[in-house]
Amino acid sequence: MKRFFRFLSDQQNQRALTIVALYILVAVYAPTLAPPDNPDEPGIFKVVGRSSDHTPHPPGNGTLLGTLPGQADVFYTLVWGTRHALRLGLVAALTTACLGVLLGAISGYVGGTANHLLLRVTDAFLTFPMIAGMYLFREVMTSLTRTGDATSLFLTVMQTLRLDPVMLTLILFSWMPYARIINASVTRLKGEEYIVAAVSLGASSFRIIFRHMIPNVIAPAIVLVARDIGAMVLLEAAFTFIGIGGVSPWGMLLVVGRNYIVGPYANPLAFWWVYLPATLSLILFGVGWNLLGDGLNRLLDPRSYRGR
Amino acid sequence: MPPILKYVLRRLLVVPITFFLVTAALYGVIMLTPPETRAQLYLSGGRMDTQQALQRAIDRIIEERGLDDPYPVQYSRWVSNVLRGDWGWSPVQNDDVLRVLLRRTPATAELTLYSILLLAPLGLASGVIAGWKENRRPDHIFRSLAFVATSVPPFILGLILLTIFYAGLRWFPPGRLGLSEQALVRSSSFKTITGLLTIDGLLNGEAGVSQEALRHLVLPVVTLSLAHWATLGRVTRSAIIEELGKPYIVAARGRGLSTRRTIWFHALRNALLPALNSSALSAASLVTGVFVVEVVFAFPGVSEPITNSLAHLPDTAMAMGFAVYSVMVVLPLMLILDVLQVFVDPRMREGGVGG
Repeated sequence: MKRFFRFLSDQQNQRALTIVALYILVAVYAPTLAPPDNPDEPGIFKVVGRSSDHTPHPPGNGTLLGTLPGQADVFYTLVWGTRHALRLGLVAALTTACLGVLLGAISGYVGGTANHLLLRVTDAFLTFPMIAGMYLFREVMTSLTRTGDATSLFLTVMQTLRLDPVMLTLILFSWMPYARIINASVTRLKGEEYIVAAVSLGASSFRIIFRHMIPNVIAPAIVLVARDIGAMVLLEAAFTFIGIGGVSPWGMLLVVGRNYIVGPYANPLAFWWVYLPATLSLILFGVGWNLLGDGLNRLLDPRSYRGR
Repeated sequence: MPPILKYVLRRLLVVPITFFLVTAALYGVIMLTPPETRAQLYLSGGRMDTQQALQRAIDRIIEERGLDDPYPVQYSRWVSNVLRGDWGWSPVQNDDVLRVLLRRTPATAELTLYSILLLAPLGLASGVIAGWKENRRPDHIFRSLAFVATSVPPFILGLILLTIFYAGLRWFPPGRLGLSEQALVRSSSFKTITGLLTIDGLLNGEAGVSQEALRHLVLPVVTLSLAHWATLGRVTRSAIIEELGKPYIVAARGRGLSTRRTIWFHALRNALLPALNSSALSAASLVTGVFVVEVVFAFPGVSEPITNSLAHLPDTAMAMGFAVYSVMVVLPLMLILDVLQVFVDPRMREGGVGG
């Protein structure tokens, strides 16, 4: 409890929590902040004028942050993008963490050949760039949907888990750090007296791993989750931006915005509202979760805390 | 056999194992698609005018290439094709996949090379200084800069830089060359020697080309380097702080060595290990980074044919090709960084401790 209050009294942590809380509030109150046309199925764009009008209009005239070409409301997309970002970040980062921690802990506990094999697989995954995985899964998905092979196992699994290629890629290519860290600590813990004691008392492997080991080694994974939430949202936005997959609304705002920075109609100073809001909300999102991760790191790892 | 050689050999052996593991998984993913899709890997040349002609060609390929065979048979056939240089045909590029990728490699290599040349020394130096002056001004400056660099994603940083330095000041344009230089490079008198325009320009006696190529490289190189610079600097910083608390540093100082010498020679050498290790781990993310930066700055590297083929038909051959290509780029990179660790770590050279 004392540590918790020390965490809260740190100015940097307060900033981090404020930023994160702000995003959560916006996500929760999105329907009130920016009421969608169809409350049951809110889209990520809302047209507030003639969609044939291809000039972005500045803020005012009923829109808080102006409109995109085609008269989609920037503020609306920004607000609903928060919901999308938080959902993606939380789901992807937590799933990744669970996967990595479980794999690392179990194989570390079992040890021997199984552990060697896992470490090899981890290394193999580390050599594979996420962008190639993204492209590959996207290809497989499109060709499967195109051929209409709905019975395919892959599609069924993806649909029942409600995964899209982006989510799948983010999870599949981010679990390795978790597995490595947890694996190393679990291997080290195995010789500890209290574990040996638990074994001799007849505790099951399951109980030893989940009650005695994981709580002791989970701290670095928690720090990683906080950072990954930010990083994954930024990555999805990047994938959306370069058009390789992903449906990040903030990324889409930037796709439109790019045309006003380097495209044929380029005039970044005149059309700032097209890209600036999305840029800032993405940066702030990353900053918030990064700060939170740093704060958690100082809280959970006393060695790295050396005054300020 | 000296232990160092043994270690290097063992690392070398891991490379093919990893390669086969990754490609086996890759082909496993592709096997999820029906044989008709995979047949497109081998649909080479010639335009298929009618649906029936296409269907017949596909059926013939499935028959000939045995795309209905069990997984191990197909995988071994495919991987031997890849190793022989037959990477399939890209319908969108209407060209051989390997040829397309190799043609684009010099541009990407140039971008990556300059970025590494910029970020490695800068990252190490700033990490050492920040760790040395822990909690004093240089450290504070470094930490805030590193924080900004890691919080702003590369593609947004790229957009910001483009807004300021291209749209605003007109200093650094996107792309790889201006129009007039492009014409010059394409002309027959310009000989491509290394494929790196900055060097080829000088070799051809066209300093203007080199200068122009450098001007186009500034923004992408800065964008690409920044995030990796921050990570490298942070790792080096905490390693230096840890090393400085160790007895051997106190002993070196006690023998009368200057602070500067202890830090740059003794502490840095040991701090290099975690730095190399973290670089090896982020080698794959460098590829993703290069890809994103190329798209943002319209730099005509490997990413261009891939983003092009995305916009059209499914291009499985290109997807597979790019995946294999990037693994083939990352593996040697990781190997080099791994082997460098042995040279840095005295314990491994003594043969006492080691992998």
